[in-house]
Amino acid sequence: MVFSIAYHFFHDPTTAEDVSQDVYLRLYQNLAAILSPEHMFQWLRQVTSRRCIDLARRNPARALVSLEDAPEPTADEMDSDPLLARKVRRVVAALPEDARMVLILRYQEDLALEEIAEILEIPINTVKSRLQRSLAHLRDRLESVGEISRHAGP
Amino acid sequence: MPDLESQLRSALKRKCAPENLADDVMARISSQPALKPGWWSRAGRLVRVPRMAWAMAGALALALIVGGIVAHHRAELDRSRGEAAKAQLKEALRIASTKLNGTWKKAVEPVRRTPPS
Repeated sequence: MVFSIAYHFFHDPTTAEDVSQDVYLRLYQNLAAILSPEHMFQWLRQVTSRRCIDLARRNPARALVSLEDAPEPTADEMDSDPLLARKVRRVVAALPEDARMVLILRYQEDLALEEIAEILEIPINTVKSRLQRSLAHLRDRLESVGEISRHAGP
Repeated sequence: MPDLESQLRSALKRKCAPENLADDVMARISSQPALKPGWWSRAGRLVRVPRMAWAMAGALALALIVGGIVAHHRAELDRSRGEAAKAQLKEALRIASTKLNGTWKKAVEPVRRTPPS
């Protein structure tokens, strides 16, 4: 989960690994504060999100790797339409950090909007507006190349 | 054509961590100096008894709140009893006053009706 959040955020396995190590080290240092397995997952998502966003803001050049430089997908991540999946990831990777993390928490972690608001410590209306704007942007970008239908889905 | 949300779920599905990640994390943990308990840690040990201290603090707080409610209720009861006692006294005085008035009237009026000789 931790690695995956960081990977989809940065599109760089090296940075994702660095972030993961930092997060798990912090978990080790803060084990006494963990109350339950559910709390641990919540804690991990929150710390990982915060770490990714902070790192992206401090080091924009490192923020993401072009998809041309990204490694080839492995067998476990072969998509039904790998080209479309790459395009989706490219557009997601170009989003501002906050909006990008909202999308990752929503569609990778399948979290409810209230949970995302709690993890990112932002109002739920902010989550909703970022999600709507991001989806609209994605829809425009992908419709223009005929990848999705305007009339399909929400 | 696939809808956007299903495409997002597909594109952002969880990616497995590399196999060496766990070993790398353990290596970093092992290389960390042993954490000396700071003053906050030593103080924290007083309440680190697994959730017990919080449970006890909660029970104490609850006892204080309940005790406060009971004390307030008793005070209210005393006050209302006092008010009732006052009301009864007033009524008793009124009745007594009425009776006295009646007796007084009975005693006095015949004297008034009788003209002075």
